[in-house]
Amino acid sequence: MIHFENVGMRYGMGSEVLKDISFNLKPGSLHFLTGPSGAGKTSLLKLMYLAHRPSRGKITMFREDMAGAARKDLPKFRRKIGVVFQDFRLLDHLTAVENVALPLWIAGGRGAEIEEHVEELLTWVGLKGRMKARPPTLSGGEKQRVAIARAVIKRPDLLLADEPTGNVDPAIAKRIMHLFVELNKLGTTTVIATHDMGLVEEVKADRLHLSDGILQLIKAGQSLPKTTPFDPAAFATASLDQNEFGPLGYDGEDEL
Amino acid sequence: MTKAIHFLPDEETHEATRLLPYVMAVMVYLSALALMGSMMLHKGFGDMTESLSNHLTIQITTADAGMRNAQVAEVTALLHKTPGIDYVRKLNEVEIEKLLEPWLGKGNVTDDLPVPAILDVTVSRDLTLNLDAVRGMLAQVSGNIHLDDHQQWLGRFLRLMDMVEYTALGILLLVVLATVCIVIFGTKAGMAENREIIAVMHHLGAQDSMIARAYQSRFMKYGLKGGIIGLVLAFITLVSLIYLSRDLAEGLVRIPELPVVEIAILLVIPFLAALISMLTARITVLRGLGRMV
Repeated sequence: MIHFENVGMRYGMGSEVLKDISFNLKPGSLHFLTGPSGAGKTSLLKLMYLAHRPSRGKITMFREDMAGAARKDLPKFRRKIGVVFQDFRLLDHLTAVENVALPLWIAGGRGAEIEEHVEELLTWVGLKGRMKARPPTLSGGEKQRVAIARAVIKRPDLLLADEPTGNVDPAIAKRIMHLFVELNKLGTTTVIATHDMGLVEEVKADRLHLSDGILQLIKAGQSLPKTTPFDPAAFATASLDQNEFGPLGYDGEDEL
Repeated sequence: MTKAIHFLPDEETHEATRLLPYVMAVMVYLSALALMGSMMLHKGFGDMTESLSNHLTIQITTADAGMRNAQVAEVTALLHKTPGIDYVRKLNEVEIEKLLEPWLGKGNVTDDLPVPAILDVTVSRDLTLNLDAVRGMLAQVSGNIHLDDHQQWLGRFLRLMDMVEYTALGILLLVVLATVCIVIFGTKAGMAENREIIAVMHHLGAQDSMIARAYQSRFMKYGLKGGIIGLVLAFITLVSLIYLSRDLAEGLVRIPELPVVEIAILLVIPFLAALISMLTARITVLRGLGRMV
């Protein structure tokens, strides 16, 4: 589903915020993306949701080369990706229903059944009474749930969430995680950037840990190794066709 | 979602583009005035030159009334025999008084005023008249007979008319250019204001053309609204100007009539303004988005 090979990224002429990032995520896998603030989690997600081009390296998603993809081809790939932004990025002048319906509308969906579908999802995330409310009148937690509903409404092939439970109470956080896990079980490849280690331990998924722009894999249940930097040479020897993915899709523990 | 989702906020909340329809109205007002003025001059003065182009005026300034009348009769007889001349008519006293009225005032043409005799000569359109031969013929009758073929005056007048028309077209061109620049500026400001929304739309998979469509339809509305306001104001201004100048210039200058058919063509101006705005906005948005990831 996602294959990064020696990817580096910088903003403008600044220094690299991501260095030699290489990993391979199997379709239908679930991963957490962890790391301290400023480690590059959001930058890595930006590369994954095609908001930024890498400054070097190769990115393959949906079996297509994304680093060199033509600009006009990107929308069709973006439509396969659901994103929950850390700052929600809801459109303030639209109602909750309209915000959530936006991906369907962009994809050409019209008609009453869309509205029904959107309302059903908003009800499920606990916003039944807030359908017509606009984001400025919603609380942080409510906004987050609208943002999550918008990201999952189209049953995306890839779901990327940046701190999706950061503004909600534990009960709602649990419910949202349950939604993500259910979606993942239905085949959606999921990457969740979070600081909530309790959540990571509860779900028991592999972790991609970023620190100073360098990525490490931590298998479910394991703690952060002290010094296990990425070894590109070792990664290069691993064949992507071997299908030796772990239970949650990571392609072997030796590479990272 | 039976209706389309308007992902751009309402016009009223757009600080950058809220005033754009009114700027467009001013632009259309100026261009409509320039065009109307040009059309009126073209039509009005075109009619005038057309009426003068096959006419000659002969003035007989002999002071003695008896001799003057004899010369009128002789010249008329000679002209009637000349090939290429269709008709010769002596202007009566009332007509001459009317011609002098703007300069001397009504009723101020007294009997003791030496007023020349004037002959209005209609020249055939089919035959070419040798004006030098006519002049020579008239000179043999008397040195006080003057032929005016209006050509010198008409030539200058036509040059002036051309200059006025080209100036009007130049103004029109500049106004169109300014309008395009304003729309580009407005579109860019609108895009900057909605940068976050555009980014979200992109992340959700919207094509550039979808975003461009939202802007182009918005700017088309601005163009149409501004165009209608501007055109109505231009009509009001023009009609008022014609009405006022009729009172002021009574008799001195012939104010051209509003050429109704040509003026009706101006009704397309708001649609043209809408089209220019729409296309400019579309191109600007697509170029702007093309620079994004």
